[in-house]
Amino acid sequence: MENAGYATLSRQTGLMREMRVIANNIANSATTGYRQEGLIFSEFVQSSPGQQSLSMSRANIFNTSMEQGQLTKTGGSFDFAIEGDAFFMVETPQGQRLTRSGAFSPNADGDLVTMDGYRVLDAGRAPVFVPPDAGKIEAGADGSLSANGRLLGQLGLFKPMEQHTLVREDGVMFRVDGEIEDNFDAKVLQGFLEGSNVNAISEVTRMIEVQRAYEMGQSFLQAEDERIRNAIKNLIKT
Amino acid sequence: MRALKIAATGMSAQQLRVETISNNLANMNTTAYNARRAEFADLHYQQISRAGTVNASDGTVLPTGVQVGLGVRPAAVSVHLAQGALQQTNNDLDLAIDGKGYLEVTLPSGQTAYTRDGALKRSAEGLIVTSDGFAVSPEVTIPDDATSISINAEGEVYGYFDETSAAQLLGQFTLAGFTNPKGLEAIGSNLFTETEASGAATVSTAGEDGLGTLRQGYLEASSVDAVREVTELIEAQRGYEMNAKVISAVDQMMGATTQVR
Repeated sequence: MENAGYATLSRQTGLMREMRVIANNIANSATTGYRQEGLIFSEFVQSSPGQQSLSMSRANIFNTSMEQGQLTKTGGSFDFAIEGDAFFMVETPQGQRLTRSGAFSPNADGDLVTMDGYRVLDAGRAPVFVPPDAGKIEAGADGSLSANGRLLGQLGLFKPMEQHTLVREDGVMFRVDGEIEDNFDAKVLQGFLEGSNVNAISEVTRMIEVQRAYEMGQSFLQAEDERIRNAIKNLIKT
Repeated sequence: MRALKIAATGMSAQQLRVETISNNLANMNTTAYNARRAEFADLHYQQISRAGTVNASDGTVLPTGVQVGLGVRPAAVSVHLAQGALQQTNNDLDLAIDGKGYLEVTLPSGQTAYTRDGALKRSAEGLIVTSDGFAVSPEVTIPDDATSISINAEGEVYGYFDETSAAQLLGQFTLAGFTNPKGLEAIGSNLFTETEASGAATVSTAGEDGLGTLRQGYLEASSVDAVREVTELIEAQRGYEMNAKVISAVDQMMGATTQVR
């Protein structure tokens, strides 16, 4: 294949990958605390000595949208949403993870856990304990939990020192390959859950764009194929 | 090809949501029914290149890796515990629990189940039973010659026999509480059984340990909010359609690929 074919192929591979990202975003449009993912194309210049350099496209920069998701009122006393740029911290067997999904409930031992059963950590990175006979739980904007005026604990709010150290993991959790700091600017809302921040309209538009761009690439490859075919045919004639 | 499978996980997730909503709407008038909500979480991420990889040619470090998500999975269908509205029935064997406790019921198998449905009845032997005929424990029997009965907030059952004599204490209902009531397993007929997740039941007198009090002559209505459910239904339907759209888009892309010679 000629260089033009290779350059188009690199674009096609990237578009296919982008389609997967879009499919994943749309599939997670109802996932509590899900953060939309985007893909950025970059130019990859291949230089070969003594020849012209070849510019290819590469889709390998992922970015996570940290836009606030829509808040849905649930009224549950262990449903929490964060307003602002912060995360809850949970303890998993693999280590501490951050999440925006605040659908918690106490387990049989009285520890506050996520839906997957991982313990939620407080501001001091210790599990949050809710006594079974506590009565109605009230949460303050800073994440402090109290029952009948008695303070039970405080949900910890954290953020990574550097945004790009967030790595996605299953269960709407993020691993942080770096430092984590406290965040006192964010607010906790009780009785609300933060919906997925996937913008359905822009995702569907992007999907159509990707689809058309892909088809365009394919028809280019087709034209390229015919050009080479004709060239060979004409060369044989002469 | 993976985009097809990712969209398929999205479709099955939305379908589960519709199923949960339809069950909630079907139980709009079920005594003491609590609405369920389907919760989702994202699936595993495939690592294509890890963040922090050093680029061999110029030594730069990749700031973000390449991770592609593989779709969505249902994380839980959790019960939204809420006190339903109390409806007056004036029936002297209707009990509503104003609080978070459960009535204890003995199943014919001898197993213990728990319910918030207090539409109680009298069996042929005078025993107080649920609508399905399961005995409420501790067992209370109403003698045939009782003219009326009264149940107070603490669950004490009094029988009146004639206008001259004082009321007689026939028995007392207790309430059961759980550390994590969301962890109870629903077995149908408004009954629940305890599980590892719910923790063991702590039985105590009504009015103690924050379990709530009993109200005679009332029933607890279903806590399903129809407006919310219908809004969710519209969202779920559109979500389903959008995932189906992804499938057809990927299909057309595949079509374009196969047409290239």
